[in-house]
Amino acid sequence: MLWILLALFVVYPLAAMFGQAFLVDGRPSLAPLLSILALPNHRAAMWNSLVLGALVGVIGTAVGFLFAFTATRCNLPARWVRLLDVATLLPLISPPFTTSIAFVFSFGPRGLITYELLGVKGTNVYGLPSTLAAEVLTYFPIAYLALRPVLAAIGGNIEEMAFSLGSSRWRVFRTVTLPLTVPGLANAFLLLFAASLADFATPLILAGSRFPVLPTEAYLQITGLFDLKGGAVLSFLLLVPAAIVFLAQRYWVGRGHYVTVTGKSGAQSTLDGVSPGARAVLVAACAAVALSILYLYALLLYASVVVAFGANHALTLKHYVVIFTEGRKAIIDTLIIAFIGMPLGGLFGVLVGYLVARGEFRGRQAMEIASMVNYALPGTIVGIAYLIAFNDPPIALTGGALIIVACYVFRYSPTGTRTTIALLKQIDRGIEEASHSLGAGSFTTFRRVTLPLVLPAFFAGLGVVFIRSMTAISATIFLVSIDWVLITVRILENMTELSLGPAAAFSVFVIVLVMAVTSAISALLRRLPGPPGAASVAGLGG
Amino acid sequence: MYRSIARRTALLAAGLALLAIRPTQAQDTLNAYSIWPENWARPMLEEFTKASGIKVNFLRFSSGEALARVIAEKGNPKIDVLFGGPVETFAAGVKEGVFEPYKPPSFAALPARFKHPDGVWVAIADDPLVFMTNTKFLAENKLNAPASWDDLLNPAYKNGLQMADARTSGTAVTRIFSILEANGRDEEKAFAYMKKLRGNVQLYTKSGGGGTLPVGLGQASGGIFFIVDALDTKAKGYDVQISFPKEGIGTAAEGIALIKGAKSPELGKKLIDWASSPAMQSLFAVHKINFVPAHPEVKTEASLAAVLKGAKVFAIDDAYAGANRKRVVDRWVAEILP
Amino acid sequence: MAANPVAIRLEGISARFDHRVKGAVAAVDNVSLDVAPGELLTLLGPSGCGKTTTLRMIAGFQKPSAGRIQIGDQDVTEVMSNDRNIGFVFQNYALFPHLSVYENVAYGLRVRKLDDAAMRGAVGDVLALVGLKGYEGQMPHQLSGGEQQRVALARAIVIRPRVLLFDEPLSNLDAKLRVQMRGEIQRLQREVGITTVYVTHDQEEAMAISDRIAVMNKGVIAQLGSAEDLYQRPASAFVAKFIGRANLLRATVLARDGDRVTLDIAGRRHQAAATGAASSLGKTIQAVVRPEALAIDAAGAGASLPGTVVTRTYLGEKVEYLIAAGDETLQVVQLGPAEARRFPSGTSVGIRLPATGIHLIEEPEA
Ligand SMILES: Nc1ncnc2c1ncn2[C@@H]1O[C@H](COP(=O)(O)OP(=O)(O)O)[C@@H](O)[C@H]1O
Ligand SMILES: [Mg+2]
Repeated sequence: MLWILLALFVVYPLAAMFGQAFLVDGRPSLAPLLSILALPNHRAAMWNSLVLGALVGVIGTAVGFLFAFTATRCNLPARWVRLLDVATLLPLISPPFTTSIAFVFSFGPRGLITYELLGVKGTNVYGLPSTLAAEVLTYFPIAYLALRPVLAAIGGNIEEMAFSLGSSRWRVFRTVTLPLTVPGLANAFLLLFAASLADFATPLILAGSRFPVLPTEAYLQITGLFDLKGGAVLSFLLLVPAAIVFLAQRYWVGRGHYVTVTGKSGAQSTLDGVSPGARAVLVAACAAVALSILYLYALLLYASVVVAFGANHALTLKHYVVIFTEGRKAIIDTLIIAFIGMPLGGLFGVLVGYLVARGEFRGRQAMEIASMVNYALPGTIVGIAYLIAFNDPPIALTGGALIIVACYVFRYSPTGTRTTIALLKQIDRGIEEASHSLGAGSFTTFRRVTLPLVLPAFFAGLGVVFIRSMTAISATIFLVSIDWVLITVRILENMTELSLGPAAAFSVFVIVLVMAVTSAISALLRRLPGPPGAASVAGLGG
Repeated sequence: MYRSIARRTALLAAGLALLAIRPTQAQDTLNAYSIWPENWARPMLEEFTKASGIKVNFLRFSSGEALARVIAEKGNPKIDVLFGGPVETFAAGVKEGVFEPYKPPSFAALPARFKHPDGVWVAIADDPLVFMTNTKFLAENKLNAPASWDDLLNPAYKNGLQMADARTSGTAVTRIFSILEANGRDEEKAFAYMKKLRGNVQLYTKSGGGGTLPVGLGQASGGIFFIVDALDTKAKGYDVQISFPKEGIGTAAEGIALIKGAKSPELGKKLIDWASSPAMQSLFAVHKINFVPAHPEVKTEASLAAVLKGAKVFAIDDAYAGANRKRVVDRWVAEILP
Repeated sequence: MAANPVAIRLEGISARFDHRVKGAVAAVDNVSLDVAPGELLTLLGPSGCGKTTTLRMIAGFQKPSAGRIQIGDQDVTEVMSNDRNIGFVFQNYALFPHLSVYENVAYGLRVRKLDDAAMRGAVGDVLALVGLKGYEGQMPHQLSGGEQQRVALARAIVIRPRVLLFDEPLSNLDAKLRVQMRGEIQRLQREVGITTVYVTHDQEEAMAISDRIAVMNKGVIAQLGSAEDLYQRPASAFVAKFIGRANLLRATVLARDGDRVTLDIAGRRHQAAATGAASSLGKTIQAVVRPEALAIDAAGAGASLPGTVVTRTYLGEKVEYLIAAGDETLQVVQLGPAEARRFPSGTSVGIRLPATGIHLIEEPEA
């Protein structure tokens, strides 16, 4: 069943796409590939994408780890943790372009910071540094969400034991905490690398013409030059690094088995994990990142309540009126799709993660890879692939909501899948076997034992699907139709039409809504009984 | 072992998926992609609904995307009409065979450059390019608004101009053909000029109007835009100057076309009839949309006419543009963009 | 076959794993075994010999790559573990960390859709049985190791399983608790009368609680029998050494008359009552002599083997010696030793072989 779904919604569209890229008049040919590679722009794009992805992966993972470590080890007052959560949550739940636009406003030639504050003239905001910074700010929360449960689960006893062996705090960190987090770090790096590779919204605004990256090139090739073939070829170039990183990660992480959560989980540590000095540094660093994020969003909020940002700063609510009248259809459609996709995606993610981590059948790895493909691929390509594959019979889905839901489910459930795998790697198999031996079937065991234990992963996955349903654009811009419109597409329209007010208002609306839903989810999660390690995850924060 | 998990989940999933199926739109609704931005398309199409009782369900895309969709949906068209957008887009669509020829009643009255000879598309407006510069920038650098193509090469503009990317934007293609025309169609001279201009360009934007706000805000010092976008920026309260080069600048017809295999061709034809006639084009002025009407019977609105007064504007020859478009854009991508 | 009822029957079961380096490895190789109803049978063997794997196949956590498994009169080879009605106690207890003690124990009953009152009764009874009344609301991580162990036990027996399976249940406990708990397990098993397969690597534990012991080595059963059988009549050098301590002496059988044998050991004749190796006349065999069966004389006394004391360890009620004799080093235990018979290390001594209790093993030296 899962195989059929994966075949239909992952393999088949790609095959259709592949046909588009490498078949000329029904015969295989490399001519499209060669003609694409002939352009220096495209070769530069390939290199740039790799550099950007790797940098975002490394820096984003580092920042995510910093946050996760600070949140789990510094004994912060609850209010501070909440601040961190909110700051990390914002980029995750934002519609595309918001960080980028706020960046341009802040750091451009007339930027609030560069020009108004520092008086620097003629700065150039476009290029690698700003793209990198914006992507790190946008994506590091993924690493934070992936690492925090891992750090929380390592927890107490093991570190206490290392302390008791006479290790210094730093030594414990270096020799115990860090190695145990390695699978989590690799996991986070992979997620970020893939996210950066696939991101086209940020580079579209910030990369400028001198720093082309593959997704924007592929997007422009398709949307601008009407060249589906060229776009398909470019996206397959993008597949190569994604596949390499993925396999490297599998090999690296696959070697270590770290069972730290057994049936008798240790007590939570009451020791401080860090020295007071280190704590101050960590907290200051987190606060700096958090404040810059909050600043960007304050700017967005401001832009939504002034008549025209930069020109007329009189306060007004007219943009909100616009989005609830002209934009009502988009809001309703988006919500319907999000609420259908959310449980499906959460369940699908956990199910695949469960099968991959626990199942004993041939093709487990193939299933994992298949489930990751749509995530690793640039959304633009997935969108075009779906469009090509599902426009004509036998499977005509375009124009409906189903195709958008399917796109979200198969594209955004891997977060749940990977978190599930990471969690399951730390949960002793015997716990499930115990359930079987007590007479529970696979489904009952899954529902009553595995699911509660991977509930943080389920909710993380579900939350991500919901958030993405509200905020994604790269794939679905090709799948929206006359009958089903999405908020994000409206935001993009508003951006290109330069109606910044409604764009900001839509963004604020999305952020508020997503916040409400995710805090409802995490409140629910907090009330569920769970093992001490996992309960503190609360995946999505406030 | 895992089958029961899968089976039960599948049931749940199927149930949820069913929710996503919604009856399709009623029969008296016309579906369209609009290349015109929402704030111009919406008032026009609402007027059409008022006049005809036909509801229009539309979605906005930039020209490249709209065309890509129309081509991708060729086997199973989702729309009846492609509405607005520069004529190159329609010329490209003709080659792909995605349009159904239709000659509306106004066809005969339209000048030759406002229609395809077989009626594959007709024009509903005309849209000249302009230079738009930030007033504060001009004052700071003691410059006058640029009045010649060469004025844009002034080092004061270094890293300051924003204009559209030829890969996505019809505006950009029109601009490149304007430069070709201004250089007597001497491609070498035109590309040499564009290479020099490249040094002053800060960003090539995805959409034609993408640079107007940055220019309005002073993020960019100036750029080349369609007049409809430029005047709208000004109307929003940004302090910008609009000027024309003395060598002349191009203007592009905005088109409309019926989709081949449309589900409601009769409704589509009614929209084309209406949009290509004075019925719609005389409403531009009412809604403060600064398009130049294509229909000869409609007068250009006074303030727009005032801006255009004395400007040297030439029509892009769509036969020449259509024949050379791909090659010129490819050359632009290879030589100017990097 | 039908004459003797069996609770569990293993017929030639094997488990093969793909090993990265070694290729396909048989962790369990063609094992057959019958367990009688109500019996407590222990699988005993060194680490890695396939005990856990065997137990997991009985539980249904793992499919045998060959062979059949029968529980009661039902062939369960293809039956899922949840339909086998077994109780399993894991080495690390595998309590559900998100459920309270009560819910952990009630889990199997809920699956069986017991009504609430019956469930409360059953859980209460079994918690009383394991001495955990009043712990219902605790979470697993709030319990000590011994308490977790009892919860695991209660959870396994409350469903009244057809068989109870233990995988090294005591290895995470301290020594005192281990002895105490093994007594309780034995008591409970007797009280409830459930057929039990118990896995351990600790021979003392095995001998203390088992009706029968199956000694495993490298995926096969080396010997099956009562603790006494195994100790007094080991079938192989491996078993002899694994169960208690043993001296294995090369010997040739010179004459045999019933259980009276004349042996040639290191060139000396020795007559004794012996068991094992029935048709070994004229052959070279190994004689198993337990350390406590050997006696030490002052050097040169009678027909004893000459040797030199290597170490002497005083342990209160006994003294242990290691004595080099020819090529071999022999272990000797003196029980209740008198002060007079004290042989410090370095002393030359004679080792006296016993007249009874020698067991002969017919196999090439390992
Ligand atoms: N899932 C597995 N994959 C590969 N090898 C395994 C697996 N389970 C057990 N083995 C191997 O089978 C052998 C027997 O293991 P096991 O039954 O656990 O031994 P014991 O419980 O007697 O210590 C060991 O060599 C072990 O490495
Ligand atoms: Mg074992």
